[in-house]
Amino acid sequence: MSNFESGKLIPTQEGLSCKVVKYLAGGGQGDVYIVEYKGEKKALKWYKPNAVSKPQKFYDSLVDKARKGSPDKAFLWPLAVTQQFEGSFGYIMDLRPEGYYELCDFMLAKVQFPSFKAAVEACIRIVTAFRLLHNSGYCYQDMNDGNFFINPKTGDVLICDNDNVSPNKTDTFILGTPRYMAPEIVLSLDKPNTQTDRFSLSVVLFMILCMNHPFEGEHWLAPCLTPDMERLLYGSDATFLFDPQDDSNRPVPGVHDNVIRRWSYMPDYIQNAFLTAFSKDAIRNPARRLREADWLKVLVRFQSDIVRCPYCSNEVFIKDASDTPCDNCHKMLPVKHKLKLADYSITAAKGTRIYRCQIDRTCNADDALDRIGLVVAKDSDPNTLGFRNMTSSIFSATTPSGKARQVKPGEVVPLITGIRFQTPEGKNIEIQ
Amino acid sequence: MPSVVNEAVARKLLPIIYVIDTSGSMIGDRIASVNEAMNDSVEVLKDVSENNPTAELKIGVMQFDSNVRWVTNGLVFLEDYYWNDLSAGGLTSLGAALDELNEKLSRKELLSSDVGYKAPVIIFMSDGYPTDDYIKSLKKVRDGNKWFKIATKIAIGVGDDFDKAALTNVVGNSEAVIQVNDNETLKKLIRVVSVTASMVGSKSRTDESQINEVLAEVRQEMQGEADIDIPDPVTPPAQPQTKKDPDDAWNTGDGWGDSSEWT
Repeated sequence: MSNFESGKLIPTQEGLSCKVVKYLAGGGQGDVYIVEYKGEKKALKWYKPNAVSKPQKFYDSLVDKARKGSPDKAFLWPLAVTQQFEGSFGYIMDLRPEGYYELCDFMLAKVQFPSFKAAVEACIRIVTAFRLLHNSGYCYQDMNDGNFFINPKTGDVLICDNDNVSPNKTDTFILGTPRYMAPEIVLSLDKPNTQTDRFSLSVVLFMILCMNHPFEGEHWLAPCLTPDMERLLYGSDATFLFDPQDDSNRPVPGVHDNVIRRWSYMPDYIQNAFLTAFSKDAIRNPARRLREADWLKVLVRFQSDIVRCPYCSNEVFIKDASDTPCDNCHKMLPVKHKLKLADYSITAAKGTRIYRCQIDRTCNADDALDRIGLVVAKDSDPNTLGFRNMTSSIFSATTPSGKARQVKPGEVVPLITGIRFQTPEGKNIEIQ
Repeated sequence: MPSVVNEAVARKLLPIIYVIDTSGSMIGDRIASVNEAMNDSVEVLKDVSENNPTAELKIGVMQFDSNVRWVTNGLVFLEDYYWNDLSAGGLTSLGAALDELNEKLSRKELLSSDVGYKAPVIIFMSDGYPTDDYIKSLKKVRDGNKWFKIATKIAIGVGDDFDKAALTNVVGNSEAVIQVNDNETLKKLIRVVSVTASMVGSKSRTDESQINEVLAEVRQEMQGEADIDIPDPVTPPAQPQTKKDPDDAWNTGDGWGDSSEWT
């Protein structure tokens, strides 16, 4: 049911009007229209009267968010808020471009990532977006599989429903979706905050990588999943599928096959990250949860370990930066060169990127994704690889024979075993 | 990693069960309206089931007049199901319908499954007075059948001469009895109740407010329609706020109960 005819002018707070182009969709809280605003097509979310519990407070918060601006381009953030108009109000945001699908469509296997690299990229984008949101003093509150739109080809992410985003620890009376809520929210022991967001974030990452909810194993098979049961499952008795101390909630063959298969292929550092994120300790003690920087470190490493098999083009997860057989054609993928970083080595293949969090153990989340280096191939000979300095500072380098050299910003050095680089901060990369 | 074909995540099953009065008084426009509305509803429910991240729907249709019959072969998946028009005639054996529910709402009968269920949704429709001893049957199913007890139950009273007290008794809540006296409104109502109840019923939730949420949305959707009476919500008495000891909120793992309690 559409309230506004096309051509209708709705004034925004700052005085400019938006012009209704057409009705797009309806939902529980209100309707979405395509509008013209400042000469561009945008989306207008228009609330049904009485759709929100404290309209004035809600309205003021929207105005405030629009004024402060979006923490990251991933958020379909309120750009402008309408005036209170004909009994209600709405806000303007960017339209979602083609090619993006709800996380829920991925879970229902209607859409698939064509590559694991793209899935990991989506995870990195989501973590980055929430880091910036939390840095801006907000928390998202109600994370669920309807909030994320992902481009399966590129892993790019758009996050919608930012109208509930609130300053950390404010009570908006939005409780969220139990499956994605932190246990202390399920149990009404706390209000949504950045720590509860972090929990929801881990759930979303697990679902993207393993295609199953982290607590939906044997316990989930209860004959009837009543609200009481959900309180146990996602709250007071939440148990990770692979909890090493408690095997009561393992995935069940025939029902949870996705996760059984996928978990066994996850690199040990990814498994360990989830084991920490969903340990009984982290479930009950919000301070023990994985932080965004922790996720970035393991996800970036995972991305550097994923390469295409040159024989059958299947994706192979390289183990310990050493020769690894392809799971599909079973041919051995030789690792010719590795880059030794702070805590581990990665295989050097064309396109491999090195980020700050890989060479600096103590770097914070803000700097984690600073680009340090990139592996490039020679145009004339794709088999000849080089390392490009992607920073704006000069690296000092030592050749295999012990000579000192300098690598300027943008300069490429051929990958020769034994070359060592050092950044101005004293962090090392060694070609092996 | 080998290229794996992803399967959709496992989903719970949500039974949506219609218990439809096809006694003599339904003959004519009323049963025609029900048929038309059910035809539409089934199509919309297919869509709900296909796109729902937490539950897959199964539909069951039971008609009662002088006898009780399942129109569906138990509970069936929506993708395999097409509505067959019902015809009307005979008495109003509501008690027999409740007996049948009592027998079939069981893991040994309709509710066997590897993945298990969400609390069922049961939608009753009637335009008359029960002609059998429904009170005895109701007591039996209400006291002895856990599935019936936790089900989200809604009744649609058709016309101006149905047994409101009986329907209230059956669904256990006068707010969940919606009275409708216009065939066009009835058609819309059946569709709205079906969609709303299935969407709300499949949601992940830890509170017991399904029925209120369904009714609030039905009220909003049906605003301004002719000849319909949806009772206003009664504000529940404020729950005494007890200060919880955070440690008590965490289980030690024995709260799962015994699956065999679910017969």
